[in-house]
Amino acid sequence: MGQPMIRAEGLVKEFTRPVRRTGPLAGLRSLVTRERVTTRAVDGVSFTVERGELVGYLGPNGAGKSTTIKMLTGVLVPTSGTVEVDGRVPWKDRTRNARGIGVVFGQRTQLWHDLPLRDSFELVAKLYGLDRPDYERALGRFTELLDLGEFLDTPVRGLSLGQRMRGDLTAAMLYGPPLLYLDEPTVGLDVVAKARIREFVAETNAVDGTTVVLTTHDLVDVERLCRRVLLIDHGEVLYDGDLAALRRRYVPYRDLVVTLAREDDGPLVAPPGTTVVEEPRTARAGTGASDAARVVAFRFDPAQTPTPAVVAAVTAEHEVVDLDVTDPDLEAVIAEIYSSGRVRA
Amino acid sequence: MTSAAQVVALVAIGRQAVRSALAVRSEVLVSAVAVLVRVVLVVLVWRAVYAGVDEVSGVDGPTAVAYAVLGAVFTNVLNPFWRSSLEMRVRQGRIAVDLLRPVGLVPQTLAQQVGTTAAAVPRCVLAVLLALAIGALRAPAGGALGLLAFVVSTALGIAVALLCNLLVAMTAFWTLEVGGALMVYRAVAQFASGALIPLWFMPGWLRGTLEHLPFQAQVFTPLSVYFGALGGGDLAAALAVQALWVVLLALLAQLVWSRALHRVVVQGG
Repeated sequence: MGQPMIRAEGLVKEFTRPVRRTGPLAGLRSLVTRERVTTRAVDGVSFTVERGELVGYLGPNGAGKSTTIKMLTGVLVPTSGTVEVDGRVPWKDRTRNARGIGVVFGQRTQLWHDLPLRDSFELVAKLYGLDRPDYERALGRFTELLDLGEFLDTPVRGLSLGQRMRGDLTAAMLYGPPLLYLDEPTVGLDVVAKARIREFVAETNAVDGTTVVLTTHDLVDVERLCRRVLLIDHGEVLYDGDLAALRRRYVPYRDLVVTLAREDDGPLVAPPGTTVVEEPRTARAGTGASDAARVVAFRFDPAQTPTPAVVAAVTAEHEVVDLDVTDPDLEAVIAEIYSSGRVRA
Repeated sequence: MTSAAQVVALVAIGRQAVRSALAVRSEVLVSAVAVLVRVVLVVLVWRAVYAGVDEVSGVDGPTAVAYAVLGAVFTNVLNPFWRSSLEMRVRQGRIAVDLLRPVGLVPQTLAQQVGTTAAAVPRCVLAVLLALAIGALRAPAGGALGLLAFVVSTALGIAVALLCNLLVAMTAFWTLEVGGALMVYRAVAQFASGALIPLWFMPGWLRGTLEHLPFQAQVFTPLSVYFGALGGGDLAAALAVQALWVVLLALLAQLVWSRALHRVVVQGG
């Protein structure tokens, strides 16, 4: 099948609302005003997602991520542009599209508040036309994978956030949709719960071949799960490609962090191709270095100067008790891109 | 999805709505007490109104009291609380989840409302039993056939009411907030449907106007059938008018929804 799972072209979504007045009688004047403001939440977004891909869809708050997801799922009708999911136009063919996708919105639940979790699953099975044996099999599998056993009979309102999210993931995947949208699935979860969700998503993608589109603010999610990321801000795609290339392109440096054996504070010799970056750092535990030990970083571009050469040069010049090579964290990369609003070509 | 699968899905939604409505024990209890108290109060008031009077506008005391009882019961069912109604789901942004279901929004909402209505049946039965016990209600006119006509007319009346509720709630797609509109609508509907005061008591011009609106098909028609106020030909015509309203309102609901589709906004991210 050559047809991509998702094809979006020139996708635009505008929202219009009456102007809010300020000043005397603001409430009343807002009520009668005919003036309207239009905001463009998504401004000409184009991309394709192939079958079996796991794509991270990233952007700051208000960038247009959720609005895009809602157009892809058929909840919102695009103002202009085209979108096709598995060969269908989601908003026109909403009910057929709904059968082929699973959706988890981290901020809201599709489960029925007053009913036990199990009842919600049975209802989902009925809604999506799942027959009994398939339902039992799927539920058994997810109960094991996501460890749902102990709260299957608890009403949803009594679940913790982590439990509810596992429930929501199950509800979204119960009928085996080939495409899964996850809109901030780990928001507000503790580390253990996050890890469990990630493991589940990775397994679903690897074992079932489910195509996954993931939006998140947790870059650990992205690093663990996504090979490809789409970066969006102000409704436009800033970057579309793999994660390693993004990092290389945007912050093409690496740090060799060393803990010096002596506490001398003289100037340091930086080998060719490196610069010294002295930020307050403390020595790692277990190295035998005192708390007052001087820790410095030599920053270099690994494409220009190979890492072993830098290590050799630095250790030849200085007596060190510990060393570590670090990549800039993704958080810093993304923060840099968000604040500058552009990706370097 | 085949239509059989659609039906299975809709039945499942309806049953879920029944269970959700009955999930909180205190709420079930309070709403049962509320309808019982209301029945007792209308009985007291209408008996007082008819004290020493045989007939008003050709309606005798026992009929007026019984009408008031059934009116109270109908109101209780047809003006459900806000919970899970469409406008609330629009306001909270939960509409996003509804739109992800492989069932159309209009049938889905109606199935949900039918479930909520069905959940009100036990407390209505209680209210009717209480009214019978205090001698405020008598069996429907016309024996078994009369009862059947009443059941059919009631079903049609409920369908008209649910469709009207749905149409008003759908204005939320344009205004995002229909609290005020719904309150006005409910006040008008209670009055114009004849749930508070029978249309028999209304001046000719008002009654003539109300007869052209869908509200009287919600309550006044079934209750007229109950009291045998409609003879053979009139009965058939009344049921036909109700059925016509159901068809018209259903078409209108689909039309409004096809326009609303482009106006969907999911509030709260």
